[in-house]
Amino acid sequence: MAEKTIVITRFDPDKDQAPRKQEYKVPCEPDWKVLDAVNFIKDELDGSVSHRWSCRMAVCGSCGMMVNGEPKLTCKTSINDYGDRIDIEPLANFPVVRDLVVELDGFMHKFESVKPWIVRAKEKAADQAALHETKGTYSQSAEQLATFKQFSMCINCMLCYAACPVVANEPEFLGPAAIALGHRYNMDSRDEGNAERNAIFRGEGTVFSCSYANECSEVCPKNVDPAAAVNQAKFEAVIDWAKNLVLPRGGA
Amino acid sequence: MRAFLLKIEPLIWLMFGQGILIGTMLLTGWILVVGLLIPLGMVDASALSYDRAHALATASLFGVVPVGKLVLAALLVLPLWKGAHHVRSLHVDFGGAERDGVVGVILYGIALVGSVIGIGAVVGL
Repeated sequence: MAEKTIVITRFDPDKDQAPRKQEYKVPCEPDWKVLDAVNFIKDELDGSVSHRWSCRMAVCGSCGMMVNGEPKLTCKTSINDYGDRIDIEPLANFPVVRDLVVELDGFMHKFESVKPWIVRAKEKAADQAALHETKGTYSQSAEQLATFKQFSMCINCMLCYAACPVVANEPEFLGPAAIALGHRYNMDSRDEGNAERNAIFRGEGTVFSCSYANECSEVCPKNVDPAAAVNQAKFEAVIDWAKNLVLPRGGA
Repeated sequence: MRAFLLKIEPLIWLMFGQGILIGTMLLTGWILVVGLLIPLGMVDASALSYDRAHALATASLFGVVPVGKLVLAALLVLPLWKGAHHVRSLHVDFGGAERDGVVGVILYGIALVGSVIGIGAVVGL
């Protein structure tokens, strides 16, 4: 057991004018994650500390925080990776609701805007020819799945938004996770919504606002590689733009 | 101005991408040859003599497709757009988003002028 000083950034919108730092002495067990230390503070030292967490196994994506200035999934980050003093702040580039809890509305709105669902011109159940051909299912080969599977592993933890220098400068930027999600559906062989999404991707504050910092992929705890998705999406958007130039689409 | 830049962004991005490819591959090779191999005597300096370089630049396929000139034009023009686009992105990252429209037009303007001069020089070979 080693005692560490955990410095938590506190903010209560009802009382505080600005965020303030509060120090806690925490007896840390060697096998702890950073989240365990924050939970210890909440349970044993100061019940007024607010933070989000749920699964403790890096799948729910709710415990993202800035640990010593870097966006981290705290349930996946060992306390031993740090010295005697650990600085914990709410995720950067998001409005703070209270203490370590950030506002998600803007992020969720960006997610919805890329149409993250399978878009079909016509439902296959009503399409008799296709029904006969594929026995009624939207069949997909392993190769087709492999083109986008990586991008579907995102857990919406928002670390990439906290790390992205473009989000920091332009809060309205669509951002890595939302673009990766849109691109994931564009690459899906069952989907027919590429034209709609590419039109969104060519708009202001989307794929072309990315300035190739690659920080999103550096901090991603699930190895989604959103930077690759953003740049593949750029290429798709360019090809779509060029096709449109040569052969204007008639509303299709 | 930003709206205009957004409209031509796919085209600029395409040239930017090709510029990176050429910039990193061919210019690295150029620096290797001119900056290291020739001074070290590993490559004879006459390899880049005017006559040889001119013959390469004016080489053509089947006497019709001016391959040499096309490659030379791409080598001169695309890295300019790559540089302009990269400097513009850097400027935004350093907090210049508000001036992005003006800065973008100036940078791409420089790239455009450089491209015209470069293509003019190549055509006149």
